[in-house]
Amino acid sequence: MTTVTVLPSGRRIEARSGVLLADLLFEAGHPLNLYCGRRGVCGKCFVEIVSGSVPPADDREQRLLRSKNLDPDRYRLACRFPVAGDLSVRIPEPSMIPKTRILSSGEGREITLDPTVRKIAVCPARPDVHSPHSLLEGLKTGLGRPFLRVAPETLFATAAVLSGIPAGDCLVTAVLGDEEELRGIEPGDTTSRLFGVALDLGTTTLAADLVDLAAGSVLGTAVGLNGQASFGADVVSRLTAAFKDPVRAASLRDAVLASINALISELGRAAGVRAEEIYETVVAGNTVMSHLFLGLPIDGLAVAPYAGVFSVAPPLPAGRTGLRVNPLGRVYLAPNLQSFVGGDVTAGIVATGLPTRPGNVLFLDLGTNGELVLKTNRGLTSTSTAAGPAFEGASISCGLAAQEGAVDKAVLRADGTIAVETIGGGPARGVCGTGLIDLIAAFLRRGDLAADGRVLRSEKRLPFASGQALSAADVREIQLAAAAVKTGMRALLASEHLTVGDLDEVLVAGAFGNYLNVENAEAIGLIPRLPEGRVKFVGNTSLEGARVLLLSGRERLRAESLSRDIRHLALARDEAFQQTFVESLSFNEWPPPAPPCRANQEDK
Amino acid sequence: MTIELFSAMAKSVVDGDPDKAASLARAALVGGVNAAEAIEKGFIPGIHEVGALWESGEYFLPELIASAEAMKSAMAILRPAAAGAGAALKEGTVVIGTVEGDIHDIGKNLVSAMLAANGFEVIDLGADVKLSAFIEAARKSGADIICVSALLTTTMLNQRRLVDLLVEHGLRGRFKVLVGGAPTSQKWAEEIGADGYGENAAAAVRAARALMGKERS
Repeated sequence: MTTVTVLPSGRRIEARSGVLLADLLFEAGHPLNLYCGRRGVCGKCFVEIVSGSVPPADDREQRLLRSKNLDPDRYRLACRFPVAGDLSVRIPEPSMIPKTRILSSGEGREITLDPTVRKIAVCPARPDVHSPHSLLEGLKTGLGRPFLRVAPETLFATAAVLSGIPAGDCLVTAVLGDEEELRGIEPGDTTSRLFGVALDLGTTTLAADLVDLAAGSVLGTAVGLNGQASFGADVVSRLTAAFKDPVRAASLRDAVLASINALISELGRAAGVRAEEIYETVVAGNTVMSHLFLGLPIDGLAVAPYAGVFSVAPPLPAGRTGLRVNPLGRVYLAPNLQSFVGGDVTAGIVATGLPTRPGNVLFLDLGTNGELVLKTNRGLTSTSTAAGPAFEGASISCGLAAQEGAVDKAVLRADGTIAVETIGGGPARGVCGTGLIDLIAAFLRRGDLAADGRVLRSEKRLPFASGQALSAADVREIQLAAAAVKTGMRALLASEHLTVGDLDEVLVAGAFGNYLNVENAEAIGLIPRLPEGRVKFVGNTSLEGARVLLLSGRERLRAESLSRDIRHLALARDEAFQQTFVESLSFNEWPPPAPPCRANQEDK
Repeated sequence: MTIELFSAMAKSVVDGDPDKAASLARAALVGGVNAAEAIEKGFIPGIHEVGALWESGEYFLPELIASAEAMKSAMAILRPAAAGAGAALKEGTVVIGTVEGDIHDIGKNLVSAMLAANGFEVIDLGADVKLSAFIEAARKSGADIICVSALLTTTMLNQRRLVDLLVEHGLRGRFKVLVGGAPTSQKWAEEIGADGYGENAAAAVRAARALMGKERS
């Protein structure tokens, strides 16, 4: 055994020789930023080796460290460093996962309250020697529902409550689920205490609402990070971790369960709601997240043709999912529409009421995967594009998630200088997605960058803050990410024989959306330039949709029918894909700005 | 005069102008310029410069594709005329594809186009290609190199399986294996026993050339 001492606290951690320093520190509770899933490519988990033996770094690591102006003799990537002897290390702040800003409210939509679980106070019919029925039959009679089904696990769990009912005055509360099913029995009248949780199960972040199911009101919202982050930042690295490795898959499941349960406890504590009072949970996540959450194999999702185990799952007994809610409750997953268009998108369609919106509407969820749904009078078509993690900062040399110290806004001032704002207001440590888009727009305007992506400054770097600059390769990454999204939009429109001008609305969802500067996103051609008001930011529609599915059984049926009715456009199989993609690489506005004389005509 | 023609040829490729490249190729034939010489001294230096511009970050996908197109249009005209000297002109034969389970195409298409532009005969099998199909195509065409692309960490395992399969069939000595794709690396190539790695289209061409050089010596 060797000892790793963490400075400045002086905390000592016992280590097996050969263990990765990254694993040791992370498991000991230091939230090290393992963005790339310990692949040694993001360079975000560097630590200072204060004393102890330091084997030389390999070439790639040396390059990474030098690109961050770190001395390879003092700093090392924790994910490339097997512990071989006693060490003292210091973890610099930029190497930790910082507090993250997540969006948790969007544009509300009115729905009719129709939850799939209800509570009814009842006085069970008492057996006597003339009518020697069982206690359960008595309850059914009391409820006036002789054909009530009893859920298997409910029989065991409620036997004690039933047999404990005192003679005489005997009000109990029956918890009834969909299709006349008895889920639980509680002593006394608890009809005013029935709660549910709506969860947006994101690859990076989680957001949850605690909902009063009787009133339809939100009691509280909590946000947190997906604990699977230590296995990598994006879906593909999670897939890789769990691929043909049931043990790792189980660890991924445990990690996300811990994160979700922490959110549920936090919500419950704040609102004075006990876990046993939560009878219904709706989870909206992408296909991979929902499979990992349920502990289902993802092997089929990892390779073409990307087949998941399920698209529509039945409501699951909560006790089987590992969620800290009433085990007799149910957990419902927003149905997946397609392997890479998951329940989060379905929730988005539900939240925005996409199928019944007038005209031609494009729904766009910008994340690592750009997911798109086009609604026309012929129905819905979906597609998914691999935008890559550039907009989340992952493949950018100075990239960060939307966290403290990340540049999230940039403006080109009249004097030609670029002014940046950071999350938290402190010094710039890097740049996140919205900041990247602002910066690209600013550099284009200033003439530092050509529309085809060439850096026009002789030093081939684009500085934007003290010690921070975009490289030529960063610009290329952004071009690829934006082109992927644009290609998806163009292919969807082409499949319906529409042009951008035919769009009545573009709905931009996701946390990214609300902070996005529309003018700049249009200027770099990420989203089409449309008459004012047609582009709308709709916020976290995944959470919003999960809440709708929590409050309405009818909406669930509609969501399930979506997965049968929606058409899919497989981009990679599309013949024009490559050409469209290459054409979409430029930062030109689309549609191209109209000549002035025509613009006047279009005004009226 | 011929020197000027050669540099115009190179420029047509650097500019990615297929019409110009074709008309220069025709002009060369009409003017009695040796077709093989036009290729080697005119167009090939152009595509080499394109490779350099790509690696310096000056050129990106659209430029690369346009240049490859220009090269293709010139070669279509000059190749038949140079057929007598064909053997000397051909760098080698390559079978290329994206592995089974992976439908990503663009990167592989670029490598394919650049290899063709640099004088390789390219048999492009597309994406989601069965390992047996790689081997079958390589056998049939008597290929020198099999280029295997994988864009996912999950599908890159199939690159290893291809190498293993070649060993199993006793064919490992007959074909060189060149790997590429976002999650792969030189280290990965070495680990699975492949012969080379191309980080991008230009690097893949260099690696393929190096493999052919090794084979000749």
